[in-house]
Amino acid sequence: MKAFANMHPAVSMLYFLSVLLVCMFIPHPVLQAEALLGGALFCAALQKRGAALRDLGFYLPLFLMVAVVNPLFSHNGVTPLFFLNENPVTLEALLYGVSLAVMVIGVLLWCKAYNEIMTSDKFLYLFGKLIPKLSLVLSMALRFIPTYLRQSRRVSRAQKAMGLYAGKSITDRVKNRMRVLAAMISWSLENAMETSASMKARGYGKKGRTNFSLFRFRASDGVLLAICICLLAVPLIGAAVGITDFMYYPRVGVIQTTPAAIAVYAAFGTLSVLPFILEVKEAIVWNYSVSKI
Amino acid sequence: MELFRVENLSFRYPKAERDALQEINLSVQNGEFIVLCGASGCGKTTLLRLLKKELAPVGEKTGRILYAGAPQEALTNAGEIGFVQQNPESQIVTDKVWHELAFGLENMGLPTETIRRRVGEMASFFGMQGWFRQKTDALSGGQKQLLNLASVMVMQPKLLILDEPTGQLDPIAAADFIATLQKINRELGLTILLAEHRLEEVFPIADRVLVLENGRILLDDEPRKIGLRLSKLHCDHPIMLHALPGAVRIWQGLHIDDTCPLTVREGREFLERHFENRAETLPEPEVPRIGETAVELKNVWFRYEKDAPDVLRGVSAKVYRGEIFCMLGGNGVGKTTALNVLAGLDKPYRGKVLVGGKPIKDYKGGTLYRRGLALLPQNPETVFVKDTVRADLAEILEVMEIPRSEHAAQIEKIAEKLGIVHLLDRHPFDISGGEQQKSALAKVLLSEPKILLLDEPTKGIDAFAKSNLREILRKLKRDGMTIVLVTHDVEFAAETADRCAFVFDGEILSADPPQKFFAENSFYTTAANRMARGLWKNAVTCEQVIEGCRTTGGQL
Amino acid sequence: MKKWISYGILCLLIPTVVLCGMFLFPAKQYAWISLCVALLSCLPVFLRFERKSVSTKRLILIASMTALSVLGRILFTPIPGFKPVTAMVVITALYFGGEVGFLTGSLCALISNFWFGQGPWTPFQMFSWGLLGLLAGLLADPLKRSKILLAVYGAVSGVLYSALMDVWTVLLADGYFNLSRYAATLVSSLPFTAIYAVSNLIFLLLFSKPIGKILERIQTKYGL
Repeated sequence: MKAFANMHPAVSMLYFLSVLLVCMFIPHPVLQAEALLGGALFCAALQKRGAALRDLGFYLPLFLMVAVVNPLFSHNGVTPLFFLNENPVTLEALLYGVSLAVMVIGVLLWCKAYNEIMTSDKFLYLFGKLIPKLSLVLSMALRFIPTYLRQSRRVSRAQKAMGLYAGKSITDRVKNRMRVLAAMISWSLENAMETSASMKARGYGKKGRTNFSLFRFRASDGVLLAICICLLAVPLIGAAVGITDFMYYPRVGVIQTTPAAIAVYAAFGTLSVLPFILEVKEAIVWNYSVSKI
Repeated sequence: MELFRVENLSFRYPKAERDALQEINLSVQNGEFIVLCGASGCGKTTLLRLLKKELAPVGEKTGRILYAGAPQEALTNAGEIGFVQQNPESQIVTDKVWHELAFGLENMGLPTETIRRRVGEMASFFGMQGWFRQKTDALSGGQKQLLNLASVMVMQPKLLILDEPTGQLDPIAAADFIATLQKINRELGLTILLAEHRLEEVFPIADRVLVLENGRILLDDEPRKIGLRLSKLHCDHPIMLHALPGAVRIWQGLHIDDTCPLTVREGREFLERHFENRAETLPEPEVPRIGETAVELKNVWFRYEKDAPDVLRGVSAKVYRGEIFCMLGGNGVGKTTALNVLAGLDKPYRGKVLVGGKPIKDYKGGTLYRRGLALLPQNPETVFVKDTVRADLAEILEVMEIPRSEHAAQIEKIAEKLGIVHLLDRHPFDISGGEQQKSALAKVLLSEPKILLLDEPTKGIDAFAKSNLREILRKLKRDGMTIVLVTHDVEFAAETADRCAFVFDGEILSADPPQKFFAENSFYTTAANRMARGLWKNAVTCEQVIEGCRTTGGQL
Repeated sequence: MKKWISYGILCLLIPTVVLCGMFLFPAKQYAWISLCVALLSCLPVFLRFERKSVSTKRLILIASMTALSVLGRILFTPIPGFKPVTAMVVITALYFGGEVGFLTGSLCALISNFWFGQGPWTPFQMFSWGLLGLLAGLLADPLKRSKILLAVYGAVSGVLYSALMDVWTVLLADGYFNLSRYAATLVSSLPFTAIYAVSNLIFLLLFSKPIGKILERIQTKYGL
């Protein structure tokens, strides 16, 4: 599943931000449900089936927990369902809990997809022009971390083979990790000075440094960008004119069904299932071209 | 055309007692391939760094360095002189291969399209297409060093300076790297100044060799004349004895009036021209008496993860008490894993490991590592966690429950034995690779092991430190220690081991005394053996070849 | 000139974005504002760093310390909440100043989330770890002198970190600062708060001296 991952970083970043913004900040049941659905479909398309099922085992209990906890201590609303320790458990609070759960799970799913698609190099590319020096720092840190991890494993084994803190008790383990971390600081800073020599040897530090990347902005990226902007504009305008306002307290509001409101739902619905559609289209095209061979 | 001219250059580090470089005079012509050699601490690195003004060390400098006829300060383009250091790991700046290649060009402020072109060109010249988009961290050591070279080459330098670039590489990767340098020199006409301590491959391809000693240029001549002039200066010069290619050493040891051979082929022709074999084989020393088994692997199977392929497939081996046992083999055949299994770091999922006749599992809570078994890891710096060598050594004594009052004496004793007394109060990261290794060995030995395991002990140390290590290992053996080592270094194994074993595809294939072992190999053997095997199949070291020529070889 | 234009744009853009958000998301406007504040509070330090000339060594020092803090977070993954990150950031700040402390803290939050997962919590982590570093840099002298003060700083910063993250949780959930939910969140995150505080305290007390020695040695050896 590569269709969305191959898009230009700017397009995918804009896409994720817009979906997340709407999902987090416009608490309208239809939009939130659409975001949850889109996120779930996208994550399912990105993963193998087994992993997706395992995720369900994680998100479902979380969903129930968030939904149930809210009415237990929020007693707003006018429709009591029953009383617990003389406190009313209201329908409104329960529904608000459900909407919170939809939002939380939706955000988590979209963040999961984001983490899958927006790898560190895309992030660096996007911010390389805005904060060039820091993005170089980030790139170096990203380069160091796996090296440090490997070296720390070596140090830990070397120490173990000398019988130092080789025990299995918690204190031995914590002590061992701390010794390793301390040893790593010396080692890494010594090496960092060699790295700085290598940077200077290649002329780092002169004015007018440029930022190179392998990403190209293609026509398809432009098309997707335009579609995203249009689809995002509709719910934002909807929010501006109050179509997406929705109240839970004191009484649960009514979901609008005016043509304008339908348009808002349709636009955001399309936006949130867009990556899933792209992935499915890619899969079909691929199967078709394979069958032709 | 003259690229570099160094006139009367002397240099002294701040607070140092003597000059690191004295009265250096040197001229580098365009297109030359120059090799710089000398023991560690002779001033090689200082000289090379002074030539690259961005890396010039701080200190007192007299004399002049001219680049293309003008003082070197006038050179503004850092890309014109490329510099590659020893450690492949620490020179890489960014996290992706393509970005690393582009790094220097970004610094020069070139536009994206130009960078794309140049990076693409270099990647295809170096054959990097397969790993162009990979993370730099996922590369092997050899690939990393090649990447360092390529990301310097992409800036289109006029001169390439390399400071022991193959020091951390295994022999195959090192040979690849040297071959790439030769290609760059031949095909692109690029001037190369290379400091090396492994001279076997670079000697034959160099135009000139500079020998540095105590901060002075001892010799500056073409490779064929270096051997002769060196032996005239003093015949037991450490470089002569240990570092020069086998062919030169044999030629020098025989004192025959003929041109000096440089490669294995020339060496063989030289030997065949002057000697005939009157005895099929050289006499072999008595096979050491087979004693008690110190450690044993019994049908050991190991893999790192459940779904990963097997790394060890039924390895069986016995190591006898008091011998030096050497495991040889290429990359990724399972040598180091076998050693780690012996050390109790990796647990086999099938088979048995016996240490002193007792299953390794039965040693509980670190008892294995007290007066039992010790491992010197491949990277000696992983052994140190304190801020002086002394503190690091004391830490082990603490674990060994030796009373505080005896610490000083014990540390003094081991330091003298290994010759590191002067290093005790230094920081472990302030000393050279060879010194680091000896200090790490001292720390490991303080646990009074009966069995010592060493992983690639010759990596990154120069010829002198290598022969020093050999002496130490022999001394330890005389004291009754069993030593198991894993190495790529066939020359070291031939000169050190009592028995050598060949590891391939997760198995130990054979274990024999080195003369027998190498006599049966035709490719995987020492340079001396490859030269002399037509005369004596079992002449393995240069000394044996020379000895053979003197005693049983009839001179023609 | 170019610089001034970009600053002008920045000065116009930021309030516009914040105000638009408030207008568009009336139900969640406080959550929106707090997110913007967390993000924007990093900006001045970042931009200042971009503008001034920084030596290569300093640049790489920040990268290394950031990577080491992330390493700390990864090494201690098995024990939830018990992380040396704050301690590392604080110690870095003590020896290399508030700016390096802020950058190490905020970049560590950003980068470690490439491992642990990015999300709307990232800006808040960036902000709080950065701030803890910055403050430690400002208070470097007294903190270096007194172990008790250092311990207090560690414990308080653990509590503050937790309390700050809970504010965001409440704002996002209710759209306004719902005190009863805040209290409930604080109570439910109490065990974590306690681990944060205790781990900061332990790591700072145990680490500050040995790491300080290492950093001082590097400082003199390489003239940082």
